[in-house]
Amino acid sequence: MRRRPFSVFLLVIAIASGLVVLLGYWINLPALATLRDLFVRWAAILAGMAVLVGILNLLYVHWLKVSQPKPGGAYSLALLIAFVLTFLVAIVDTPTGSWSLWIFRYVQLPVEASLLALLAITLLVAVFRMLHRRFDWFSLVFIGTAILILVGSTYLPEVNMPVLQSLRTWLLQVPTVAGARGILLGIGIGVVATGVRILTGSDRPYEG
Amino acid sequence: MNLSAWLSAEILGLGFLLTFALLFYIFYYWKHRASYQKELEELRRIDAFTRLRKTIGQAIENGRGLQISIGSGGLNGIRGAAGLVSLSMLLVITQKSCKGDQSPQVTSGDGALASLAQDTLHKAYRLAAVESNSKASQNQVTGITPFSYAAGAMLTILDQPLQANLLAGNFGSEAGLLAEAGERSSQLVIAGSDGLPAQSVMLATADDALIGEELFAGGAYLSAEPSHAASVKAQDILRWIIILIILAGVILKLAGAL
Repeated sequence: MRRRPFSVFLLVIAIASGLVVLLGYWINLPALATLRDLFVRWAAILAGMAVLVGILNLLYVHWLKVSQPKPGGAYSLALLIAFVLTFLVAIVDTPTGSWSLWIFRYVQLPVEASLLALLAITLLVAVFRMLHRRFDWFSLVFIGTAILILVGSTYLPEVNMPVLQSLRTWLLQVPTVAGARGILLGIGIGVVATGVRILTGSDRPYEG
Repeated sequence: MNLSAWLSAEILGLGFLLTFALLFYIFYYWKHRASYQKELEELRRIDAFTRLRKTIGQAIENGRGLQISIGSGGLNGIRGAAGLVSLSMLLVITQKSCKGDQSPQVTSGDGALASLAQDTLHKAYRLAAVESNSKASQNQVTGITPFSYAAGAMLTILDQPLQANLLAGNFGSEAGLLAEAGERSSQLVIAGSDGLPAQSVMLATADDALIGEELFAGGAYLSAEPSHAASVKAQDILRWIIILIILAGVILKLAGAL
């Protein structure tokens, strides 16, 4: 596929900017460091703008759901009303004002905490489903370890389980750390691979 | 000078990056002389991608859509890589499935990622020579915090008959809620993330979980671009180099040289 001249121009700008930021971390040149910091600041501003674009997209999709009555439209209406109220409070009272913080503390935090609680139940159900779906040694080890860690972390009055607690500590400090480091190294290589592909323009999923 | 003092993090990082780039280009140009299908067959089997390829075909046959959740990691920092990989997968999946009745549904938790996803959808339709029938709701930002994103995406998953639910990108433990929503509506759930908590949750909740760096091989296994196959091969060699360096480090430490 032939690239259009404008898209090649954009690609060159993207690669050059990426290289400047990357080299700024290794080559100790004041001019390069200044340019790197400038690019990073621009990226932060663009990311901030992207949050606004995301919010507008969210509002537009929910507005469409309200204007063309569909099942679940009431949730969309609730979202729009909550957004307008929160936005007005933040404008009048400033985002760090007492009313804004009240909304954050007594609405957003409890809602997110209840989702976290729901996740705990979901995971419990998922463990039983996992046994049904894949009954093999790997699943048994996974579930057995999870139960051991949970029981080892629980405080039961009048019950002293030093062996279980030592086993839990050993599991967390030896096999878990070893496995996690192995996975993190793999992820690190994957991140470098993706970075090189994007930086050299050999992988470009979007148009630009 | 002491060896450990000379091998600073910056020197190691630069060496790591240059080695990968060198290996990548060797494989990239060598690959052009070989058949790409043969390259794919040489890759080790990952069940999740085999099932995903079959599911794309089934979705077209059944006239059902696919839901692709690309996470809420954004593009800034180290989490951006998972987001970019999810866009590569989105491009291939949309190209393959856009000839069916239903287009893939994309949800994200970040504005920048959503903008690039929109651009990716346009590119996929253009490459597949299909007129875009995308609606505003095809690519949605469902929330800008991880849990609000999950809550919004759960509604999208439960809202319509879908063939499969693919979670690919940066997630935290909220991925469990998304996988559970897919499970409740009898969809196949395939999930991969660059986060350790999400991977453990996905292992328990998804039908097929991508563990470790398997997510980053997504492009190669879905046959996106020749560069992906070269990248996977370079990654494999680099992994062996790191294993050898770790072993050498252990031996040198035992010998008292470090």
